[in-house]
Amino acid sequence: MHVPDTRAAVGELAADLGWLEDHCRAQPGLAAHAGSLRLASALTRNVIGPFLEDQPARPLHVAVVGGAGAGKSTVVNFLCGSVVAEANPQAGYTRHPTAFLPAGGATLPGTIGFLGPMRRVSEEKPANLDEDVYQVRRLQPTAAADPLGEFVVWDCPDMTTWASTGYVARLMEVAALADVVVYVASDERYNDEVPTQFLHLAVKAGKAVVCVLTKMRESDAPAMVEHFQREVLGRLPPLPSGSIPAVPVVPFPQMPPGVRNDPAGAGAKYRVQLLNQILVQCESADAARKRTVSNAARYLATAGDGLLDVARRDLAEFDAWKGAVRVGRLDFEDRYRKEYLSGEQFRRFDRYREQLVELVELPGAGRMWGNVLWVLRAPYRWGRDTLTRLVVRPDTLNLSEKTVLDAALVGWLDGLRAEALRRAGSHPVWKAVAHGFDGPLAAEVRDRFQQAFRTFELKETDDLEATGRQLVAKLEGNPGLLYLLRGGKLTADIAVVGAVLVFTWVPSWYHFLLIPLGVSATHQTAELAARGATEAARLKVRSHREELVQATLTAPLAEWLAQWPATGGTAFEKLQQVLTRVPLLIRQLDEKVSAKMTA
Amino acid sequence: MTEPEPLLRTLAPLLRGLDRRLRGWLDARRAQPLSMLQRAELEGLDTDLQRQAAALDVEKPLLVIMLMGGTGVGKSSLLNALAGSPIAQSSFTRPTTRDPVVYYHQSVRSDRLDPALRLCRLAQHDRPGLEQKVIVDTPDLDSNDTANRDKLIALLPVADIVLYVGSQEKYHDKLGWELFKEQRKRRAFAFVLNKWDRCLTNESGVRPDEDLLRDLKDEGFTSPLLFRTTARAWLEANGATPADLPAGEQFPLLKNWLELGLTRLEIEAVKAHGVTQLLAQIARAAEGAKPPDLDEAAAKVADAWERVLAEEAAVQAEVLVGALEPYQTEVEHHFSVEGQQRFRGLMAAYLRVTTMFRYAGSRIRDRHPITGRLLGGRVETPVEWNLGSFVQDCAKAAGERVLDQRASALVNKLLVDADQRGFPPALLQERTAAVSRLDWRDRVTRAVIDALAEVERRATHPTGWRKALRGTLGVAANTLPEVALVATAAVLLWDFFVVGNTDISLFRLSLVGLVPLVVIIVLHLLILMLLPIRWPAIRGEFRRELGARLDAELERVYRPIPGEIAAALTAERAEVDALVADTKQVSDWLAERQQAARVGELYGS
Repeated sequence: MHVPDTRAAVGELAADLGWLEDHCRAQPGLAAHAGSLRLASALTRNVIGPFLEDQPARPLHVAVVGGAGAGKSTVVNFLCGSVVAEANPQAGYTRHPTAFLPAGGATLPGTIGFLGPMRRVSEEKPANLDEDVYQVRRLQPTAAADPLGEFVVWDCPDMTTWASTGYVARLMEVAALADVVVYVASDERYNDEVPTQFLHLAVKAGKAVVCVLTKMRESDAPAMVEHFQREVLGRLPPLPSGSIPAVPVVPFPQMPPGVRNDPAGAGAKYRVQLLNQILVQCESADAARKRTVSNAARYLATAGDGLLDVARRDLAEFDAWKGAVRVGRLDFEDRYRKEYLSGEQFRRFDRYREQLVELVELPGAGRMWGNVLWVLRAPYRWGRDTLTRLVVRPDTLNLSEKTVLDAALVGWLDGLRAEALRRAGSHPVWKAVAHGFDGPLAAEVRDRFQQAFRTFELKETDDLEATGRQLVAKLEGNPGLLYLLRGGKLTADIAVVGAVLVFTWVPSWYHFLLIPLGVSATHQTAELAARGATEAARLKVRSHREELVQATLTAPLAEWLAQWPATGGTAFEKLQQVLTRVPLLIRQLDEKVSAKMTA
Repeated sequence: MTEPEPLLRTLAPLLRGLDRRLRGWLDARRAQPLSMLQRAELEGLDTDLQRQAAALDVEKPLLVIMLMGGTGVGKSSLLNALAGSPIAQSSFTRPTTRDPVVYYHQSVRSDRLDPALRLCRLAQHDRPGLEQKVIVDTPDLDSNDTANRDKLIALLPVADIVLYVGSQEKYHDKLGWELFKEQRKRRAFAFVLNKWDRCLTNESGVRPDEDLLRDLKDEGFTSPLLFRTTARAWLEANGATPADLPAGEQFPLLKNWLELGLTRLEIEAVKAHGVTQLLAQIARAAEGAKPPDLDEAAAKVADAWERVLAEEAAVQAEVLVGALEPYQTEVEHHFSVEGQQRFRGLMAAYLRVTTMFRYAGSRIRDRHPITGRLLGGRVETPVEWNLGSFVQDCAKAAGERVLDQRASALVNKLLVDADQRGFPPALLQERTAAVSRLDWRDRVTRAVIDALAEVERRATHPTGWRKALRGTLGVAANTLPEVALVATAAVLLWDFFVVGNTDISLFRLSLVGLVPLVVIIVLHLLILMLLPIRWPAIRGEFRRELGARLDAELERVYRPIPGEIAAALTAERAEVDALVADTKQVSDWLAERQQAARVGELYGS
């Protein structure tokens, strides 16, 4: 196996989920999701990681969890067979997990990242040390054989007192590690909301769960177990595999101190029941571990999307920002089209039109003929030009392209800024944008725009020249067509002169007036054809220009603006990264786990 | 001993007055709307005010003591033990109590209870010590049945004293503790640590009562009333003292406190303190909802907007003039026609003919829609000059091209400007949006027409030396051609009859027409040269005029907005101040009359 590769993936996934967890904690409405995210990152770190790195299945882990004062430490003592954990009446006394290693041999795995940020303290400390640590204690060997010789028993802190917000992450870390979760609920607590949520989470993560009901009167035990099974266990979520979880319940009635403090002797009756239930869940160490691992992988695969739900609101707001940018972009393009493009005549094309008309004239010696005709056409030309001047409206004064673009950009930015201000109170992304506008954002956008505009200017000039030149070059490059046109025009002119002479023979002086009229008509036809060709090219340039603005100016700018909140090392950038990476990593690890399972 | 002043009874009308005041303030329309949270809080406080006013306006006010705690801590057992009989359901299944139980004296008619309590299970008793007290057992706050928590939260506002019941396991569970922290600002708290027997195991760690006292001390309760009880033992003993009570068991103390400790004086003090707390909350919430003082910012914004609006007006004027550009011939034509009105006789006839020729193009164009469209005319100008419809079309064209988009951009710019000068744009948004939705085309059209008319008036009625020149030229044009005609005719007649020159050539005859024509042409040239009506000359003046008009129009609608809003906010601030002052007056009145009763430990600091 590619251990470093796997290790990197595991580390990355755990870190990403950890980051999401912190992200949730920072937002008041999402704090509830932090627990399941912590569980997911801990599962990656403590279960999937060691498995993929070929750590031995042994020892198995039993985590004892439950609400404050429910009797977790007492249950730990019963599991270990002697009084090893401090059981006391102060609710929420235990503040960090403690591992009890069996007397013989087994040690905790030494993989990097095991139990995440928690530090191991080697010397003995009181259980109410409120730090990110875990203790490890080795049990004293006893004469009797230890039924849990392959198990590490974890005494965990509670999740119900007001102080637990500070240490519930430690509980999650150990619960994720466990192969068997022993859920302790007292007669007061067994139908409480907060512990039940935790139980649901453990079941969803595919942990084998054994419930211990404590502190009731001996006589009430069967009824209470029945009520607990109906009210709480009856509403458990299905396992990752889809089946309904079977959770055994062991009653631990209120015991006098003598029994409570002598688990192996006076309390053996209860202890044996509990041990049996645990051992039933773990017939062989390998199978139990495999189950833990494959359930963890499946939990990640199925809950993966749900885990990312916490970012949904962020993403929705982010999308709203992108939408605002898009709307601004459309407005920008609209303004450009209406204010500039629709009124722009591209005067430069008139030159090409003249060139086209010029081309059709005869070259060389034929120029004499052309000059003669030009003189003949003079009266018609004057008449036409005068009439046109009288009738044609002057053009609308068109704003310069740069003015229009600058105004449109200002409009775009103002629109975005106003939108950001309007919504600044609703979500951090808008606030960040509003702050950005107060700071460097607007100047930066303008810089980018100026740069893009320079490129655009070069391209547009090229584009215009190329289209115009192409118009002429097409004809020049096609001698056949060119000669045909020239010949055609010459023929038409000669035909007109000839026809006048033939039909009016012998002509009077006024019949010769028909000749200039005729040659003017032929020339006008040629001019109209040239105008048609130029107009088509002009239209093409206009639509092309719009595309050019979109491609070189608005599209890159819109893209940059849309991504702006997610750049520069902000939380949104990280969020985007995490959201794309987490599903990939989960899939990758899931595949690796199932490959190794079948191998 | 004289009858003490009926403090609470006198308080009720004051509270009612305050409630009316608060109600009115809440219902009023305001420039800065309350946020959802603020409104909810103030509404809740107002309801409490009404409730207090109603509860105090009786001979003997009832003290509501409410038990609050997690499931299984023994709230019901405690009530049963206090009552000496199983009035509240209590069993080992969790959660037990789903419906609240109200335990009150039989002398109290049930309609005197708060409406929220009347719907609960009612249990009456005849114990004189608890005559003025109502004890309520509530559902839990932490079980899977979350409806229970909602019921509790709905009942809590009724409570005067909350009895926080904890057990060895649950004395500082998060859910209960947070509710306590939230409610302690509003009511008195006493504490019960039930299942005291489970707390005494002589094991390591802090004993739960000491742990709880420490937590409470951190919350400001230095000497809270804490009762350590084992309710179940008392209940099972059936009224007698149980046999093996753990050391330090304080159930009798609790009972004693409820029955004897809370005398009339204490009840009054607790009630008064509750009202004081409520008033403080109202004052705080109102103070929090007080809008900011924006007078200064508004002045700054108005100044900044003036610049923005002037720029905007200039650009709009430029655009509109640009839209008129293609119709310069028509405008010139119009001005010429208007200028010709003052000419009479030959000059008038001559001008009519020349004008017709000169502007023949626009006539051809306009009369024939086909040529109009072919030759680039976008607006169908009617043959008969109709300034209104013509300008309307121009404004429409300009609007479609430029102005419509500028309107929303302008609002955005104004909002951004306001924000930069410390004026919250949210306050302006509604008004500016409404203004930008006005019919701007209509206004622009009117501005263009007015500006054109003004320019026209100035062109046709000049002042200063132009006026003199124009008058002279007018008189000359109206008389000289006719004079020339008559003179030429007279000279010709004189020549024919008196001198006897009989040479009647065509040229000599045509002199009768030619001489006046020359005079007319000279005069016309003079008029054209000295008093030109050309588009470029009109254009500059027209643009200035239009810019000024648009600027005035924009300023008229936009500029007062910040000032008006700031003024409204100032009025609202004054209202809040008045409300707070009223509240303070009532609490001062109350503070003066508070009687010395020892209830301080129920509140902490």
